[in-house]
Amino acid sequence: MRNRHYFVLIGVLLTVIVVGAITGDSSPGDRAEAIGARIMCPVCQGSAIAGSPSTTATAMMDKVDELIADGMTDDQIIKYFSDRYGENIILDPAFAGKTLLVWLLPVAAMGMGVWMILRRRRTIAPGVESSQ
Amino acid sequence: MIAILGAVAILAAFLGCLALAFRGLISLVRPQRATPSRLQVPVLVVLMGAVASMGALQLALLTDDFSVAYVADHSASTTPFVFKIASAWAALEGSIVLWGLILALCIWTVWRRIAARSKNDQLWAAALGIMGIVGLFFFGLMLTVSNPFQVCLTPATVGCLEATWAVWTPAQAAMEGLGPNPLLQNHFLMALHPPLLYAGYVGLTVPFAFAMSALLIGRGGAAWLEASRSWTLVAWGFLTLGIVLGGLWSYEVLGWGGYWAWDPVENASFIPWLIATAFIHSSIVQRRRGMLQAWNFVLVILAFASTILGTFLTRSGIISSVHSFSQSPIGPILLWFLAFILVVSFGIFAARLNDVASSSRLDSMVSREGFFLVNNLVLSVFAFVVMLGTLYPLFLEAITGDTAGVGPPFFNRFAIPISLVLLVAMAIGSIAPWRSASPTLLWERIRLPFVISLAAGALAVMMDYRDGYLLLGVIAGTLVIATAIHRLFASAHRRTVKTDESMVAAIGKTLRGDRQYWSGQLSHIGVAILAIGIALSSNLAVTGTYSVKQFDTVSFAGMELMYLETVIRREPNREVIGARIVITRDGRQVGVLEPGINSYFMQGQSIGTPSVATSVGGDLYLTLVRIDDSGVSFKALWFPYVWLVWAGGLLIAMAPLWGWLGRRRSRIPDQVEESTRQ
Repeated sequence: MRNRHYFVLIGVLLTVIVVGAITGDSSPGDRAEAIGARIMCPVCQGSAIAGSPSTTATAMMDKVDELIADGMTDDQIIKYFSDRYGENIILDPAFAGKTLLVWLLPVAAMGMGVWMILRRRRTIAPGVESSQ
Repeated sequence: MIAILGAVAILAAFLGCLALAFRGLISLVRPQRATPSRLQVPVLVVLMGAVASMGALQLALLTDDFSVAYVADHSASTTPFVFKIASAWAALEGSIVLWGLILALCIWTVWRRIAARSKNDQLWAAALGIMGIVGLFFFGLMLTVSNPFQVCLTPATVGCLEATWAVWTPAQAAMEGLGPNPLLQNHFLMALHPPLLYAGYVGLTVPFAFAMSALLIGRGGAAWLEASRSWTLVAWGFLTLGIVLGGLWSYEVLGWGGYWAWDPVENASFIPWLIATAFIHSSIVQRRRGMLQAWNFVLVILAFASTILGTFLTRSGIISSVHSFSQSPIGPILLWFLAFILVVSFGIFAARLNDVASSSRLDSMVSREGFFLVNNLVLSVFAFVVMLGTLYPLFLEAITGDTAGVGPPFFNRFAIPISLVLLVAMAIGSIAPWRSASPTLLWERIRLPFVISLAAGALAVMMDYRDGYLLLGVIAGTLVIATAIHRLFASAHRRTVKTDESMVAAIGKTLRGDRQYWSGQLSHIGVAILAIGIALSSNLAVTGTYSVKQFDTVSFAGMELMYLETVIRREPNREVIGARIVITRDGRQVGVLEPGINSYFMQGQSIGTPSVATSVGGDLYLTLVRIDDSGVSFKALWFPYVWLVWAGGLLIAMAPLWGWLGRRRSRIPDQVEESTRQ
């Protein structure tokens, strides 16, 4: 195959994939599962209400469904539960206040790593001709 | 009696470590004393002491010697045989004995390798000395705060109320033992998972010891990497296997319907894995190109320190999690040891930095070593994210008194993009030549695999799998697999043209020609299969909760589930109540599942046990929520292609074997070739 053929093939396949991904929509059930995954089950250690088979978790999942049907947004539903059960049952830390750092530090670490690699290239590059 | 035997064995191992540390480290000032024969006696004493201490513990467990407090508290006469053996590492004190045993085995194997060559070698002698110091800490723990052979002074009806480490005291035996934690005696995997994980943890002591030894001697270069390479790979393989089996155990036993929850203790095993993986890659860069010398020391120190951190998180009970069943005053001691390790090793590192700074340069980012740098950066950030997310709530609470939850959604948000970047770097990096790669060459090597991976993505769309992450996972995973296989065929093809061999013979010879490279590729394929498995099983999972009466049928994921009857089974240590549920698909019976609730008499605890039917298409996973005369409630999950996760994980862990198989024969030519290939 020539290069041109590869480009055509890649174009066609990409179109299929992108169109497929965009037109595939998420159902309300997925939304409840996604919200449920962000709330910890208060009685079963360490698992989210979406995954837990316990009675409490099931009841809370039913409440999530109910709130979705009421037309509440994801954030409102999360707030509903954190107001009632305390903030540590939310498994998804907020991008604000006391949990802002937990989001920013990884980005900072990544930035520092990239900077170190780039700096290494720049400082070492001048030696290219002289060393060998 | 057994207690005295065990305590003496531990004392012997402790003294052996003391002698080993002394004799090993003295070689730093007196190089002529760095002979294997001088270390022989301490090494064998440590080994025999460690073996005897584990033997004594097993003997006490198997003979139901309830005068030993550990046995009374963690085993029972009704405990099944396998779990009596596994009880030796089901609780803190015993798990340290296992730790000591594996460390002793590491010390012994390292010594054997050097003894086989029987010449003076400072690097090896001092490394053994450092392992002796690490041994001092663990055998010291066993002698003091974490003594597995404490004898029982005041027995309760079941278990032991008061114990003493003075093993010569006349002991009072309890009538019966408490038995292991129900979660730990519910599945045979629990007998396997901790030893594997510990072998991984402890094995990382070896490269750490060699690194410290090289630093103390002030000898840079790749000698310490070469010397410790086998142990690094074996440790990494065990760590991988331990993590995968831990996931499988969680899936088969805990019943929440998943294999990975970003639980602090899971994270504690994943952090060393990430750092060790970065280390394996960066050590290749140093061995090939002389770069990253200082970075390798940093990584190996962090890898070792993270195993201690992992033990601290698991064993201190500081984080409440599914693993919080082991709490003890050992926490602060482990934390001090961790601080000691970090301060001393980075202190030595800083003092010797000038001797080990690398000399070689990076010619171009678009090269094998360039992609290795990306891999190292991303893996390190990944390790940092996992550590941050695990420790953040602790730090927050310690500093401000505030609480916050950091759970799976947080980790996933970083893990998914990071994994995708890693997969792409894995695919392109492993076909990029060293030093500098021309874009044309890379394009030629990647274009066909790229088309194949896009075709896999398009196929997924046709099958109506349209989630964005799922598609990206499938495409990136397929890219890795297709690139590796394409490379194999291309290399073999070149061989057939040159040598007139058949294609099959050429493939075999290519695979055997550069075993290190191809075992790495095998591991990469494993990662890709795992990634595809995770993308499919997590995005396509279907769940449902049903309450039914006897003979009722519900439809779930294209199957009919019928509640047939209740089964009750009495076993010596537990009672099993299960609901027999008949599965039919298109009117044909495909299986009978029996999710149940196991009630353990001794502990008065009941735990649900899921029941799983595996097929190529996926797993049907049932957990019992409630069972009584009126009927049952159960939760059903359908996990498509979840077996890919286990298959991929197993392949990752086993891949180093391919490199190891041909080691003996190809070792010398390989090294010559590498050093000249700069």
